[in-house]
Amino acid sequence: MRPVVFLAVLLAACDSEGPISPPPPPPVTEPPLASQVDVPPDYGLHDTFVRDGVAFLSVWNTGITILDLGGGGRGGTPQEPAVLATFRPNNGSLAAPAIHNSWWFHNASNGSRRYLFVGQEGPGIVGSTSGGDIKVLDVSDLTAPTEVAFFRIPGAGTHNFWVDEVRQVLYAAYYNVGVVAIDVSGALAGDLAAREIARVRMTPASYTWGVMLANNRLYASDMTSGFWQLDPGSLQPLGGGNNVTERYGSDLWVRGNVGYSGTWGGSPRNGLRGNAVKIWHLSTSGAPAIADSIVIEGINTISDLEVSDNGRLLVFSVEGPTDAGLYVYDLTDPIKPVRVGYVNVVQGLHTVSLGRVGVKLYAFAARNPASPALLIYDLSEYDR
Amino acid sequence: MIRPRGQIIPLVVSADPIPGGGQLTEARVVQPVLGLDVSALSGRLWFHAMLNGEGLTLDSGELAPGIWGEGFIDRRHPHTYVHELMLVGRLAGSRWGVGAGAGKGFVPFGTDDPMSRPPVRYPVNHHLAQILERAVVLGQARYRWITIEGSLFNGDEPESPSSSPNLDRFGDSWSIRGTVQPATGLELQLSRAKVRSPEHRGGAGLDQFKWSASVRGEGSLGSRPAYGLLEWARTDEASGAFRFESWLGEGAIVLGRARPYLRLERTQRPEEERISAFRSRRPHLEDAILGISRWTTFTGGVVVELLGGASRYSIAPLLEGTIGRITKSGEGLFQVVDWYSRPEFWSLTLGVRASVGMRAHRMGRYGLLESTLRHPVGHE
Repeated sequence: MRPVVFLAVLLAACDSEGPISPPPPPPVTEPPLASQVDVPPDYGLHDTFVRDGVAFLSVWNTGITILDLGGGGRGGTPQEPAVLATFRPNNGSLAAPAIHNSWWFHNASNGSRRYLFVGQEGPGIVGSTSGGDIKVLDVSDLTAPTEVAFFRIPGAGTHNFWVDEVRQVLYAAYYNVGVVAIDVSGALAGDLAAREIARVRMTPASYTWGVMLANNRLYASDMTSGFWQLDPGSLQPLGGGNNVTERYGSDLWVRGNVGYSGTWGGSPRNGLRGNAVKIWHLSTSGAPAIADSIVIEGINTISDLEVSDNGRLLVFSVEGPTDAGLYVYDLTDPIKPVRVGYVNVVQGLHTVSLGRVGVKLYAFAARNPASPALLIYDLSEYDR
Repeated sequence: MIRPRGQIIPLVVSADPIPGGGQLTEARVVQPVLGLDVSALSGRLWFHAMLNGEGLTLDSGELAPGIWGEGFIDRRHPHTYVHELMLVGRLAGSRWGVGAGAGKGFVPFGTDDPMSRPPVRYPVNHHLAQILERAVVLGQARYRWITIEGSLFNGDEPESPSSSPNLDRFGDSWSIRGTVQPATGLELQLSRAKVRSPEHRGGAGLDQFKWSASVRGEGSLGSRPAYGLLEWARTDEASGAFRFESWLGEGAIVLGRARPYLRLERTQRPEEERISAFRSRRPHLEDAILGISRWTTFTGGVVVELLGGASRYSIAPLLEGTIGRITKSGEGLFQVVDWYSRPEFWSLTLGVRASVGMRAHRMGRYGLLESTLRHPVGHE
């Protein structure tokens, strides 16, 4: 009995007088699936734009599918979305619609919600060539979209958008052209080529994935040269750049004085796949400087990322090979995100978008083929 | 006439570097096939059937630097269990002939299937220079030494060994081939094809427009049976946004029981996003590629016939080696050194080819182009 008593005393002493241990990390739980919306496998769902209880699904050659989640007047909910319409835009400069992304434009100057900007993603050699137009759909009637205008740069293709809805400027990441700013004020019809305001290719090898306006500052993530700050008017670089050179860059998100950018691993760079989220501290002028990174084993690409509207969560989608799926991080310390949620999706998730329906926060994730689908996850438990 | 044919090749292959770097050695059984050729009505009607067991023996593919297709990279994919099932009829006079056929098999396009050519290793250009395992209806017409063939078929290529052609897509693709045979053993061909969405079964993929041209000779070099082929092939995808071109020359000669052969090839291939070292993403998610690589290969080998040339049966040990070089062709993120530690590579194969009746059928030639000759340097 004597050794046992001694051990108990020793443990008690350590417990009361030893060094203070950090609290254990929170448990990582699986976010509940609210619903699943299957889409045709040609090729499937690429991106989802969610606003005001309506979801716009970019479903490659199927076109744009509009779902009522509670704001479309058809009784839809995140648990049981109702289809409002599926519209197949014309092929434009491509051989097929190849619908990749969209943005429902809420014009801050007049309150109009008439236009949906739609991006095509055509054939290209990553890092060099691309194809695909920006299309403008009139969605005044969400059940009967019509195509009214387009923007095309010959020899180049668009990727992700951001819209300055106050100044009515669409910023488009434009792969091998860099970033393009387009005036989208007033009525939009026909060829919008004359509305181009500015364009910039940050380096001769730039291949730009995404662009985002935050705090009246414009940021871009370039696959070859990293995370940039651009002038929102002229698009000229103001800071950053040439700061991700060991991996290829992917998507970005900025909130407050912190930025996050993903990495892409369709092909290794310096032997590394895209298994890192870069965390950027933004200076008072907005210039990014690397602060930290999250590196995850067993994945190839951080395909999309977003911070929740209240700044509490960082959510990103991931593709293969083993640990693909949806990752949820707590941002109590924005520079040191802590993983709180994860769900494995074997096929991989191509994108994820966050949207609030009522008071609840949901993640809208695009599951890759085979069996492509929109997966809607309820993130309420992490959002409290 | 009923003529069975079959083949099996157990082998050990070693290659360096493989994707990711390093050397890999594997033992596999490749090209395990069982076939039957039946002719009736004095050769006017032919039935060709072939089962292929690579789905059982080659599930992860045959290690072969440069080879690609159907989601495999640097490994040759297994073919479908029902490799060929064709019924073909022909009516031929001394100066003219007509033929027609239908079933699952080879589309009249390009050159002979690599399985019926001297090297064991498939050429890099297999998916540029042949179209096979499709539901095809073909027609033929011959005047003297000129034969014209046309076909309709389904564009989708197989997704697995158990895949069958998507019959909903039958007729979405076509081919035409002109063959000139000005002298015995000499053959020139020119082919053109449109293949609708070969890499996406549902039809959402990019279309291909293909060319193939070749000169083939079979006869004697001195007094020794010999064979030679020179071919060019080109495939355009996405209205020419991607272009892949190939040049290939190969030859073989019979020296007693030994049959040495050579192949020199320079072929471009797409570099796709990979989900692992040897596999690319299937089904496709988008239409981008990472770049184009050019594979220059020099293959040499020898098979030694143990049973003698007169037999329909053959047991032939083989030794085959390939050296080559990978270069980046054009722009894009693909970098040779990202996947391969160096641009030079080699592979070495040691095996035994055991076969029966394989020399009698030029795979990919039906009806009017069906030869009843034993090909002296083909596989037995």
